[in-house]
Amino acid sequence: MVAGSFRCIDRFARLLSPFVISAALVLFAALPVQIPGYGQIAFNVGLMTVFYWAIYRPDLMPAVAAFSLGLWQDILVGSPVGLNALILLLANWAIVSQRTFFQGKSFGVIWFCFALVTIVAAFLAWIIVCGLNASLIDPSPGLFQGVFTIGVFPFTAWLLARLQHALLRPVDVSV
Amino acid sequence: MPVRALVHRFALLFLILAAFAIMLLGKAETVVVERVRTGVVDVVAPVMDAASRPIATVTEGIDRIGNFFTVYEDNERLREQNARLLEWQNAALALAAENSTFRKMLNYIPEPGARFAAARVIGDSGGVFVRSVLVNAGTQAGVEKGDAVINGDGLVGRVAETGRQSGRVLLITDLNSRIPVVVEKTRIRAILAGDNSGQPKLAFLPPNARLEVGDRIVTSGHGGVFPAGLPVGRIASVSDDVMRIEAFADFDRLEYVRIVTSFPGETAGHIVPSTVRRPAR
Repeated sequence: MVAGSFRCIDRFARLLSPFVISAALVLFAALPVQIPGYGQIAFNVGLMTVFYWAIYRPDLMPAVAAFSLGLWQDILVGSPVGLNALILLLANWAIVSQRTFFQGKSFGVIWFCFALVTIVAAFLAWIIVCGLNASLIDPSPGLFQGVFTIGVFPFTAWLLARLQHALLRPVDVSV
Repeated sequence: MPVRALVHRFALLFLILAAFAIMLLGKAETVVVERVRTGVVDVVAPVMDAASRPIATVTEGIDRIGNFFTVYEDNERLREQNARLLEWQNAALALAAENSTFRKMLNYIPEPGARFAAARVIGDSGGVFVRSVLVNAGTQAGVEKGDAVINGDGLVGRVAETGRQSGRVLLITDLNSRIPVVVEKTRIRAILAGDNSGQPKLAFLPPNARLEVGDRIVTSGHGGVFPAGLPVGRIASVSDDVMRIEAFADFDRLEYVRIVTSFPGETAGHIVPSTVRRPAR
């Protein structure tokens, strides 16, 4: 009985791990690193993790999780609360709805799709922030962040793949 | 199954609307959004504080290695600077003596000094469209919303949100930062307005105000929210429509800051809605 409930807790913790890992990465990305100019173009960790899990384990990154992760990122980073929540939610929805397309595709294709999603997300964020401030804001930091995020994605994807392999392999996939 | 799909679709729609609603509430500076925000940051502040320390140590180590290669040039430069500063020290001592004589003659009562709270920067990367940092001092340390934040070089920003043991500092480069300043030499007043670029601009200058590149800009103290005379920066470029300031503070390397918690002549200011001070509870 006890062993059974422990297994249950263990399984639950493992299933929760994509969200917890994503939240932790967002927190780490918000720490000060004192590299000149980094603060302005700090890559969008939330977008990378949501994209990854939406492709490989969409069952563990539902819309509510993506939304909460966005809120968490907004609160830590200081961006308008709700901005990243909306963007991550839409990105999650877009990828999950195209899930059949991604099945069996090479990493190059996935990277290319991530680039597209990032550019659309950066554009959307720029429009919303312009709207909220009722003024035209310089879009270049958003663009730089997008390029930087696209460049870092393979590394993040590799890291998340290792974590997925370590934590989620023993878990029954048919949830 | 169709029912489940329907629920899914409505959930998505509901969350999209919720995101927009939260954004608008936040824009209207609603207390609820701010409370939630400061509450969450308060809880994770100790974690961020602890996690940011090793990073700071590594950066310091790298700096130290870098300094090793420039030690000769640095020494030369510092010697020269020291000689110059000694001259200034003599001048300052003479002026201080003269000043105290004048004060005695005028029966001048000195004002009490300002009070500060020291804080460490625990969160950076203010996002693409915001320029702000998190610090590990809040209401417990006497920090209030609107307080001026400085470091050894000059003005950094003002406190925009305070939790119990954390606070968010809006840098002077942020789009929403507006600070009353004055040109130190000519006493021309202006508002320093950030626009998310590295160099904030001077707004509301009187027509045909004469300004030169290199002029020092300090806070004017108008409105009583900031103390007067805090060094802000130098005029970096002058053109017909825009004047930009190179700030003294280096925003890329903020590690420790000082928050001016009280100063002589402080009043509850109402210059900009977001700098309104709420009475302490």
